[in-house]
Amino acid sequence: MTNFVKTALVLLLFTAGFMACKKDAPVDEDGLLITTRRECFVSNFELLGTDFITVRSKLPVIDTTAQTIDVEVLFGTDLKNVYPQFSLATDCKLEPKITGKVDFSDLANPKTYTVISGNRQIRKPYKVIIKFQ
Amino acid sequence: MRQQKKINLTHLFGALFLLMVACKKEEYAIPEPKSELSNDVIKRTLGPNIVGLPIEFAYAMALPAAKGKLVSAQVEASIAGATGTFLEHNSYFTKSNGQDTGVVVGQPSVNDGARTRVTFTRDTMASTLRYSYVVPEEARGKTVSFTFSSTSSDGGNATFKMGPYTISNMDMVRNLAVNNTTANYISIADLAVYNAANAAVNAGKIDLIYLYRASPASFLHALVSPAADAQYRPGITLPAGVNRSTKVQKVFNLQDYNLARLQFGIFIDDLDFQQLNLADAPNYAISLRAEAGTWVETADGRYRAYIYLNSVNANGSAVISIKRYDMQRK
Repeated sequence: MTNFVKTALVLLLFTAGFMACKKDAPVDEDGLLITTRRECFVSNFELLGTDFITVRSKLPVIDTTAQTIDVEVLFGTDLKNVYPQFSLATDCKLEPKITGKVDFSDLANPKTYTVISGNRQIRKPYKVIIKFQ
Repeated sequence: MRQQKKINLTHLFGALFLLMVACKKEEYAIPEPKSELSNDVIKRTLGPNIVGLPIEFAYAMALPAAKGKLVSAQVEASIAGATGTFLEHNSYFTKSNGQDTGVVVGQPSVNDGARTRVTFTRDTMASTLRYSYVVPEEARGKTVSFTFSSTSSDGGNATFKMGPYTISNMDMVRNLAVNNTTANYISIADLAVYNAANAAVNAGKIDLIYLYRASPASFLHALVSPAADAQYRPGITLPAGVNRSTKVQKVFNLQDYNLARLQFGIFIDDLDFQQLNLADAPNYAISLRAEAGTWVETADGRYRAYIYLNSVNANGSAVISIKRYDMQRK
């Protein structure tokens, strides 16, 4: 009986030791996994009106070298109340976060969004340039 | 050693006892029917209770055949219903093809104040009558309750209470025809559409202008406030005094059931208007399409409304329906 208890305790200690040594995957301040990926770009951009229908008149032009997104919107678009949507490279994240409607009405001062790579080492600011149809 | 045996035996007996309890099978027993007049009610309509629209119920009553037959059925509302309130004198059953079929069981209902009554003429011991209560103006913003009751030939009676139900503060108007030329000035205060001449007479009440422009392609059907930038109301010469700036926000996929009468189970209620925030909304909405809508707030902030486009026509016309909430009434 005593031997059995001893063996059980030893096994338990080994198991605890194994678990304690397991290294946690790194996460950032948002709780997102930090990976080894270095890709950092915007792959697509969408702009929706309050009715959640696109306000673009044609496809956006995304220049990953100049880091600009050129969007032409329909006549009469209410740019004070639009929802931007970014598609990013794998594991990237966007700053600032988009939490709801955004005011893009100040055409003279285009908004800038920063894409951060999966390894969180590379940051690329993209300027969203909007013009009317 | 002896103590261990004792423990083992205790465990064994305990397990056996649990097994016996667990395996006890409960026999199904057919419920005993009530041997007296009994009744039940379901509410058939969903969504907000709006003045002028009916609230519908189905009232079922029955008693054992040996006990007698049904004599009368009655509904008493806490506030008398408007014209059109009635209790069906047909009892309905559903055919195998799903069609509801009525059988006349009594005289047409009689309204006496808040009471609506049907007297049975057919010898029947079970019946389901439909009750349609048209919400009167005096019930607006209040609550209404209903007491359903029935009597049988053996002297029995049964009652069933329903409610209270809150009556909405909203107003509603459906199927207003608007067009590019002769009916394009919309008044939320009046829930009406005017031509230019009448708009000039009611200048202080004109909140929106309906217009259709084929070009540019993104314009088409629009609801524009008189104070909107001139580029959003091309070719419109405003009648004298028509100058209000109404806030408008486009919406899609909000086919309110009361306005659209389509299959969608969506209802706009008082709470939606109370929580609506159009602080940064523009004063125009262009490129509207059928089954789209717009949230609206009048310039003085008194009314909030939802305008739904039932249909649109490329000849420059549309059919709209409006739900309106008076902010001063809450």
